[in-house]
Amino acid sequence: MPSLFVIRGRDQGTRFELEDDVMSIGRDSSNSIQLHDTEVSRSHAVLRRSGRAFLLADQQSSNGTYLNGRPIKTEELAGGDQVQLGQTLLLYTGFADNANADLSDKVNIVGQIQEDRSSRIVRSMSQEEGSALFGETPAGTQSPWLVRARSNLQIMYRTALAVSHTLDIDQLLGRIMDMIFEWVEADRGCIMLKDVETGLLAPKVRRDRRAPQIEDRITISKTILDYVVEHNEGVLTSNARDDDRWNPAQSILQMGVREAICVPMQGRYDVVGVIYIDTSTSPQQMVKQQGMVDKFTEDHLKLMIAIAHQAALAVEDTSYYKAMVQAERLAAVGQTIATLSHHIKNILQGVRGGSYLMELGLEDHTRAARQPEPDTNTMVDAARMIRKGWDIVEKNQEKITALVMDMLTFSKEREPEPVASDLNQLVSDVVELMAGRARDLGVQLKWKAGEPMPTLMFDPDGMHRAVLNVITNAIDACDCVEDGQVNISSSYAPEEQIARIVVADNGSGIEAADLETIFTLFVSRKGGRGTGLGLPVSQKIMKEHGGRICVESRPGEGSRFVLELPAVPPDAAEPPEEARRTPRRSTGETRATSPSQQQ
Amino acid sequence: MATPGRVLIVDSSDDSRAVLREALSRNGTEIFEASRSDTGLALARSCRPDVIVVDVDENSQPHPQVSRDFDQATHDGSASVLLLATARRNVEPLAAGEVVAKPYHYAPLIRKIEELLARAA
Repeated sequence: MPSLFVIRGRDQGTRFELEDDVMSIGRDSSNSIQLHDTEVSRSHAVLRRSGRAFLLADQQSSNGTYLNGRPIKTEELAGGDQVQLGQTLLLYTGFADNANADLSDKVNIVGQIQEDRSSRIVRSMSQEEGSALFGETPAGTQSPWLVRARSNLQIMYRTALAVSHTLDIDQLLGRIMDMIFEWVEADRGCIMLKDVETGLLAPKVRRDRRAPQIEDRITISKTILDYVVEHNEGVLTSNARDDDRWNPAQSILQMGVREAICVPMQGRYDVVGVIYIDTSTSPQQMVKQQGMVDKFTEDHLKLMIAIAHQAALAVEDTSYYKAMVQAERLAAVGQTIATLSHHIKNILQGVRGGSYLMELGLEDHTRAARQPEPDTNTMVDAARMIRKGWDIVEKNQEKITALVMDMLTFSKEREPEPVASDLNQLVSDVVELMAGRARDLGVQLKWKAGEPMPTLMFDPDGMHRAVLNVITNAIDACDCVEDGQVNISSSYAPEEQIARIVVADNGSGIEAADLETIFTLFVSRKGGRGTGLGLPVSQKIMKEHGGRICVESRPGEGSRFVLELPAVPPDAAEPPEEARRTPRRSTGETRATSPSQQQ
Repeated sequence: MATPGRVLIVDSSDDSRAVLREALSRNGTEIFEASRSDTGLALARSCRPDVIVVDVDENSQPHPQVSRDFDQATHDGSASVLLLATARRNVEPLAAGEVVAKPYHYAPLIRKIEELLARAA
């Protein structure tokens, strides 16, 4: 689907999918696309679909609508276009190109037999060999033009290679400068990039062929820089051409001559910076060369323009990539904070409610106890209310514990700490823990331990969490059905060396489209009750063990989750350092995990 | 002060429903509960509550629409509808007193419900 992705501005990281045929853009909340930018008009622009394209039209906005840096009234958008409204910069992604959709029917990859019959590998070549394309000129072809052309091609080829191998702009600019110094007889050079906010040029890298002298500052005329940026043209300058200082009698011979090349870094849409190099010819050299001091030629200028363009494209790509990563990161952080805040708020609301009931119960109890003849009925009711309040507080305390445990499990890269453990005992513990919750929801919990089940090496705490989350989900899935039932069983397949835990429910089931996202972080089908952490955490734990979770589901009929754990017998595993130091843990211990954890 | 009457609570949170039920039924108020808005609407039609308390955060409908749905469900709009909602920007404001911002404290909420019950009596 076509979209506008905000790459700069207050809404950075937001993607607006262009679902409707007409979509308005503006600061006001009534717009299909609302931009939180004070320089955007209330009703700024409108997008109208025209076949497989969108037309962008300015709505007489105060600050105008810009497409790829130029103001527009109405223009058709193409994929990759940049739209600027106020301070907000958006990247347009067009309709998917279906031209190549069915190419699989037109291209055959055939088996080895047919391949052998028709063709064979005659010569292979590595990347390094390929880069020698512009190597030594063969003998007999020493035409100066040809040599120069080959050299230039080689420079461009190496530039392209160099800029494609880094995503760090400073490193990229450093490489460009190094290569320029390799090919051009420059003494000093610098690259300046345009600040996206202020539009001012700021030096990013400087190179000197010789160690720079103190106070050896590169002085560049602002007039020249402005000319290069505004006219998008490279310039070759010399302080020797505009006067008659070549007369040896003149004092210029005491100062020498400085030549410079300054070229724009022209990207796809705009000039992103400039590259400047210069060279000096000393009075002695001038005398020696009898005034012939043209170290920089028109060919150098052409080459520099080509290099600068290549560098600009790489700078743009790197900047977009960084902006995209940053935007995605901001969006992810925002979503995480919003989701977690929502759950924590609900938990706090529960704690507040439980505390309130306890307070009411205590008030009633105190009042009844102070009567001349204590009202025992009221006191019993008050005690019941206190109990009810405490249960709610305790349940929410367990919820916050589960949330924190899931967050910790998901956030850190960890290796499981396998110890020899009894898988059936572990599942039995979880079932026992969940029995109360299942009973509250009227769901029948059945557990059948598969025998024989050998002692296996796994991280009992991790597996406990993984199984708990899956069983919790199964119970919750049965909340809306009559005679809800969750059947849990285990089995061991010695020939496959796999232990399985099956959790099957007759609950609401999962739509096929939703099956793809059940392991996606923060995606929950349980509305406000779900954190969207449970199943991703279970899957992470199983993967850490080298296992997996398989799911089958039919809407309206129920779901079947199979947790597959590679069966590692104790004698096949090298016990971790910690396990060697500490006594073996029993999986039967009670853990501070929650029966109320909700996916 | 006893404020008998009929209150319908529509809230997906078991805890919130339990707290309101316990606190309101102390004074003899009859409580009806629903965890989803569709079953809540059905109960509103059948049990004729005096006050309907609806948590709208899980409801995809905009706030005024939820209020109108429950008003219509009580035939003559005789029930007072109290919405529990997280304050959001760009939400069409409702008449004063119809929305209690989340997260809320229970004591003022109970007082508000009892006021509405007293008004209905």
